[in-house]
Amino acid sequence: MNHSSDSRSEKGSILVRAITRASSQNINLMEVCGTHTVSIFRHGLRTIIPENIKMISGPGCPVCVTDQGDIDAALELAEEDMVTMATYGDMLRVPGTSTSLADLKARGRDIRIITSASQCIEIAEKDPQKEIVFFSVGFETTAPATASMLLEAQKKGLENLSVISLHKRTPPVLETLASDPGIKIDGFILPGHVSVILGHDPYRSIPERYGIPSCITGFEPEDILSGIFSIVRQIEEGKPRLTSVYGRVVKKEGNIKAKELMAEVFEYCDARWRGIGEIKSSGLAIKEKYRKLDAQYKWNLKTKEVEPPAGCRCGDVLSGRITPPECPLFRTICTPSSPVGPCMVSSEGSCSAYYRFRGGAESWNR
Amino acid sequence: MFSLLQISGRCRKLEQITLGHGSGGRLTEQLIKNITELFPSGRKDPSVSDLEDCTFLSNDIAVTIDSFTVSPRIFPGGNIGKLAVCGSTNDLAVRGVRPEWLVMSVVIEEGMDMEEFNGYMESAAAVCRDLGVKLSAGDTKVVPRNSLDGLFITTCALGTADTPFYWGMNNIKPGDRIAVTRSIGAHGATIGAARYDLGSKTLSSDCAALWPAIKEITKDRSVRAMRDCTRGGLGTVLCEWAEGTDLGIEIEEKEIPISSEVISVCDVLGFDPLYLACEGCAAIVFDPEGEDRILSALARHKDCSEIKIIGEVVDEHKKMVGMKTDIGGMRVIDMPVAEMLPRIC
Repeated sequence: MNHSSDSRSEKGSILVRAITRASSQNINLMEVCGTHTVSIFRHGLRTIIPENIKMISGPGCPVCVTDQGDIDAALELAEEDMVTMATYGDMLRVPGTSTSLADLKARGRDIRIITSASQCIEIAEKDPQKEIVFFSVGFETTAPATASMLLEAQKKGLENLSVISLHKRTPPVLETLASDPGIKIDGFILPGHVSVILGHDPYRSIPERYGIPSCITGFEPEDILSGIFSIVRQIEEGKPRLTSVYGRVVKKEGNIKAKELMAEVFEYCDARWRGIGEIKSSGLAIKEKYRKLDAQYKWNLKTKEVEPPAGCRCGDVLSGRITPPECPLFRTICTPSSPVGPCMVSSEGSCSAYYRFRGGAESWNR
Repeated sequence: MFSLLQISGRCRKLEQITLGHGSGGRLTEQLIKNITELFPSGRKDPSVSDLEDCTFLSNDIAVTIDSFTVSPRIFPGGNIGKLAVCGSTNDLAVRGVRPEWLVMSVVIEEGMDMEEFNGYMESAAAVCRDLGVKLSAGDTKVVPRNSLDGLFITTCALGTADTPFYWGMNNIKPGDRIAVTRSIGAHGATIGAARYDLGSKTLSSDCAALWPAIKEITKDRSVRAMRDCTRGGLGTVLCEWAEGTDLGIEIEEKEIPISSEVISVCDVLGFDPLYLACEGCAAIVFDPEGEDRILSALARHKDCSEIKIIGEVVDEHKKMVGMKTDIGGMRVIDMPVAEMLPRIC
């Protein structure tokens, strides 16, 4: 859709030729980030890479990995009369056990969609009678903004604002997947946005300890093809390492300021990932120093262990064990207009992407 | 194993009318079907589909109706008043119908500034003057504060067919070309930018009346069908054509005109420009024989100066829309299913 499209298609065909020539075996590559999943579909990349390369969508959609018990606890709080709940748009339609924020909103509850954490400060200042609760999810990409908002709220002494922090860390889940003998991943396409914050170091154990080639990759189709090429070469050479094809944005040391912000406000905690289970040190909890702003304590939130909806295999989809069409509910009972699991809700969820793009090449010409 | 009872219970619980039902995709389609099934049809339209933008009451009189509520009410490139007249007259224009009469109902929230309200009516009237459309009947209601968000305007437009050919999707044939009359997504991106406070200075809605351009081609035999790419955007129109005609559609991403501002807003909010609403952009299908005539006639008008052929109708991949992407891949374009929401990261 732009003037450089001729050169883009030229670049694309060069990269695809290079991948095809270099690649001699059947391999599974996992794109960890939901933005990658959508980009792969949106640009039709599955239709141009060689058939021996299978792309698996990983647990990189923050909405999808949020545990149902955590969602239920937040929904319960949103039912309180004095509470205004602010959250990111993707969370709105995620079904809890008996309702969703979209349902509550339709019933007249005060639910606000925000695009940046700092908007919570404005809402809290504008409406001092209301209790603003920020239902905050996301990886290391959104956590620094939450941290910075919490610091500002503390400085301003805002008493009607608190945060449910369900932020999650990327490196621990990668290790969990890499060490699971039941999952065959030959290479990781690592998330570009998260890497902008974290830099290179947190991923080094993946090739070094688990022998899985990994490449930090951007979101343009050329970036993704370059990432695939880098991993294919590592596999063929038998020398797994960490590479980056996103050097124009990602610095080796990451974003030091953002990391400091996170370290000031958050501490690691064990966190439950939907469908994957509890992963040690994979969550970001608000430090004691900022407890007044922690909704967990302020509202005494109790997270119950909840069984996922019967038949829903989001967990297996998130860990790459099955593709969405292999789930018995896919397209039959679970659709984007009536989602059962979160992978169908979020625009970046694998099931939603498979549904919207009809699995890409597989259904074309049928 | 899972219990079906449990699953169906869950589905029922989710069945409320939500904003998604208003977004122009699958949910809207369901909602409309629920309503129309209950009523006797008053349609005299030879077209087989319910999915055209207006319908014929007799051999030459056509009618359409639309309600307008937009937040913010004033946006770069227009306001709710201008939108209300452009929107419904465009629904006539794209079937080759000259808009002539307007019936309007306004529902106003108590407390609205009189000067602000008059401003919207003046904008609406200005479009009517330009088009030669007369206000024939109307209604006003004022409702208590907080029972609606400011102002709802409903406009019903009537007109007389200016083309003898009944433009509509039942005319579409394999080999036909598809064009869009201007760059896509400007209205949706402008509203999105305003709503999420992105403060774009250069972005402006494409809100415009299409009749002055379309009337130049009403006698052209090559025109098959035309649609106003409003709610649901270009993507939805193409999907409805493919499904409604039982034919396939192939488009090329690199041919679709789109401004860099719209792309930026989409990048930030995670929107897909193919599904963003337009308010002065039509998709048109025509026999390739008329290509030069149609393109040059429409391109003379400022609102269609970016007109561009984006693809064609094919006999394969029935009911499906495929887009050849910039990088050389093939992407299936499906109907959007719910309201587009800004993503997390």
